[in-house]
Amino acid sequence: MPFESTAQLAPALLDVSFRDGYVGSVIAVSLYVSLTAVALSTLVSVPAAVAIGLADFPGKGFVKSVVNTGMGFPSVVVGLVVLFAVSNQGPLGSLELIFTREAMIMSQFVLATPPITAITLAAVSGVDDGVRDAARVLGGTRVDVALVVIKEARYGIATAVLAGFGRAVSEVGSVLIVGGNITSADGISKTRTLTTAIQLEARQGQYETAMVLGAVLVALVLTVNAIVVRFGDRGVAG
Amino acid sequence: MLRARHVSRSYGDEAVFRDLSIEVGEGEVVAVIGPSGVGKTTLLRTLALALEPDEGAVTLDGTDVWAVDEAERLALRRRVGMVFQEASLFDGTVARNVEYGLRVRRSWSDRLASVFRLNGAPDAVEESLEVVGLSDKTAQPADSLSGGEAQRVSFARALAYEPDVLLLDEPTSDLDPRNTAVIEEAIGEARARGIGVVVATHDMHQAERVADRVAVLLDDGITEMGPTEKIFEDPDSERTRKFISGELVY
Repeated sequence: MPFESTAQLAPALLDVSFRDGYVGSVIAVSLYVSLTAVALSTLVSVPAAVAIGLADFPGKGFVKSVVNTGMGFPSVVVGLVVLFAVSNQGPLGSLELIFTREAMIMSQFVLATPPITAITLAAVSGVDDGVRDAARVLGGTRVDVALVVIKEARYGIATAVLAGFGRAVSEVGSVLIVGGNITSADGISKTRTLTTAIQLEARQGQYETAMVLGAVLVALVLTVNAIVVRFGDRGVAG
Repeated sequence: MLRARHVSRSYGDEAVFRDLSIEVGEGEVVAVIGPSGVGKTTLLRTLALALEPDEGAVTLDGTDVWAVDEAERLALRRRVGMVFQEASLFDGTVARNVEYGLRVRRSWSDRLASVFRLNGAPDAVEESLEVVGLSDKTAQPADSLSGGEAQRVSFARALAYEPDVLLLDEPTSDLDPRNTAVIEEAIGEARARGIGVVVATHDMHQAERVADRVAVLLDDGITEMGPTEKIFEDPDSERTRKFISGELVY
């Protein structure tokens, strides 16, 4: 039993490793890596999903299946693939990205892209055909039609981005493999995220720290979910 | 003048229409009547230059629309407007909807200015909404309108950029008599402005009220086309006569 009573836990939580900026640096690394990965993924996924959603081509169903399958990709496998890519023998070895935040961003990018693409694609496909037709016959170019569709599907797209963030920030396997869970000599996180820190602290018996980090992570994920629900409600209402 | 010459269109092996010809001139209203599912919408989409015919040609003032490059086709397409059976309004205010056709014809910097309303709602938006009796709804969200109001906004949206030809696909099929009357008055206003109008309808009384000429679309082609009075009172085709009298049941 890690704690004898909750009364013991409360002061432990207050005393826990906020000292010397450790927890703050772990949160900062988590947010930096996840937000960057999701931002980059959004730049790729949303245009790709809109293009797929608006186009008619042979094999469209197959492409959708591949995207949906990607949502279930095991994160440790993604981590292994990215580790191979950035290792000395890999195609990106010369960039010396191994055990860096950039490598972690790459792995989270790979993990966040399928959900963002799939949910955006579903949102775009759900836009009434009549709206697209109207935009076209009123004189819109392909870009104009795409902009109308994006506007109509904006709540679904926002949900997709937030779902991608949720997956990225709560992921542990691949960032552990490619990031290495490293701190500097003064204890400040270099590649340690909330999830990898929780895993390490719990393994070392530092349950108080693990609990605080867990609470921070849960608060982050809850905030994201609250925003998703809010967007979803607005989408239904609007 | 918008003209379709000997056009055919099919979906898979099923022909919707074959060797069909129809045209509409300046300030003329042509009604296409026929039973539901006969292909009126496909014909209108073909005339709207949104659907390429399998055979035949669609010309606007003599230019074969499908023989020119995409940029020129877009310019031609922008001279034609269409109102669908469903209003299909965009998310936003009534004014933003009606302004859409004008907006996509502007430069990107002008569009940005219109987003922030730096140059106010164009007069054409106000005028179009006045035609359909909704000038007091400019700032109202489109999704708060009734079905009839939404369809009237859809009409104003197509009228705002003054197309040469306006295509109306069953524009009043879901509307009450009051809204139907407003739309029919608006058709008259479009004609007065010199706009050629093609209205597809299964309401023969409406065709009689608004059209200068009537085309009867039965099976896979136009069985007869001519002045409204002649089509309803003395049609040449026996099938047309039976359809109009209600003897031809689909």
